[in-house]
Amino acid sequence: MTKRIRSQIARGSAELAILALLAEQPLYGFEISKRIEGKTGGALHFTLASLYPMLYDLEKRGWIAGRWEPNHAGRDRRYYCLTPAGKKELAPLRREWNFFFQALDRLAGVTNA
Amino acid sequence: MPDWIALVRERLLPLALPPKEIQEVVAELAAHLEDFYEEQIGKGLNESEALQRTLNEIVRWRRLARNIQHAKHNEETMNPRTKQLWLPGLVSLTTAIFSPMAVAFMRLGDLPQNLWLTLLPICGAAAAYLSRRAGGQRFDRIVSALFPVGALLACFCFILLVSSFATVPFFTLSDFVHYSKWAIPQGAALLLGALPFLRTQSGGTHSLS
Repeated sequence: MTKRIRSQIARGSAELAILALLAEQPLYGFEISKRIEGKTGGALHFTLASLYPMLYDLEKRGWIAGRWEPNHAGRDRRYYCLTPAGKKELAPLRREWNFFFQALDRLAGVTNA
Repeated sequence: MPDWIALVRERLLPLALPPKEIQEVVAELAAHLEDFYEEQIGKGLNESEALQRTLNEIVRWRRLARNIQHAKHNEETMNPRTKQLWLPGLVSLTTAIFSPMAVAFMRLGDLPQNLWLTLLPICGAAAAYLSRRAGGQRFDRIVSALFPVGALLACFCFILLVSSFATVPFFTLSDFVHYSKWAIPQGAALLLGALPFLRTQSGGTHSLS
């Protein structure tokens, strides 16, 4: 059974999760939440209330951009894509998290837990 | 199926954004709820159960409205330049001005010029420390520590400018040079206090914010 990761860690990792997903392809909010939940086996779960403030914040910082487009069902949805600034931000963010997990592993041996 | 737009608009009423932005946010959240609702129906829930589960997605609408507003519009209370330069500079200036008053208030008598100079390193140190803590570069730390001297010289320049327009100049260039000499020991004292905080902090740590 997958345990839900505590909310603080999930919130901290949300930026990376969203940027990494959008680096693959443009997605709208509902798709983003489903993809994150699916790809992490339910460990990360974003409700509407936690997802959209994050998306708007990333958009304000210029890392992602949203535009309305019809989805596969022909309904208008706001698709988000990674901007060049977001792409630039993603690499160091990945490195920081990698560094963080390595440090945590050295400290607590989390990979063998 | 519920009118998702009306439902979201009604609950997001505290949202204080321009009408066009509200319209867009409402449409986007309504679309999300619509997708979520249809997903629940697809899982075999009846309409009432699906609606209830969809509404459970957001329990605190007011908080959501506040978070969206903050994410879309609120800037940080202070930008980095303010935290790294202006605020530490103001602290240095204020403490440099008020330290003689504080000493006088404590009934220690008028502060001699030499004793005041001994207090100035503390002002410079406080400014450089605050600037470094806020992530200021070495230049920012020096400028913020020397802020009182800069302010003093700016005042002299202003007085000199005003005096030059007066019929009888009350502050001449030689006065300016004479009084500006005070800035040298003051600047040195401030810089002395800032010195321990001019070194770059040791690296090797990463913060995830």
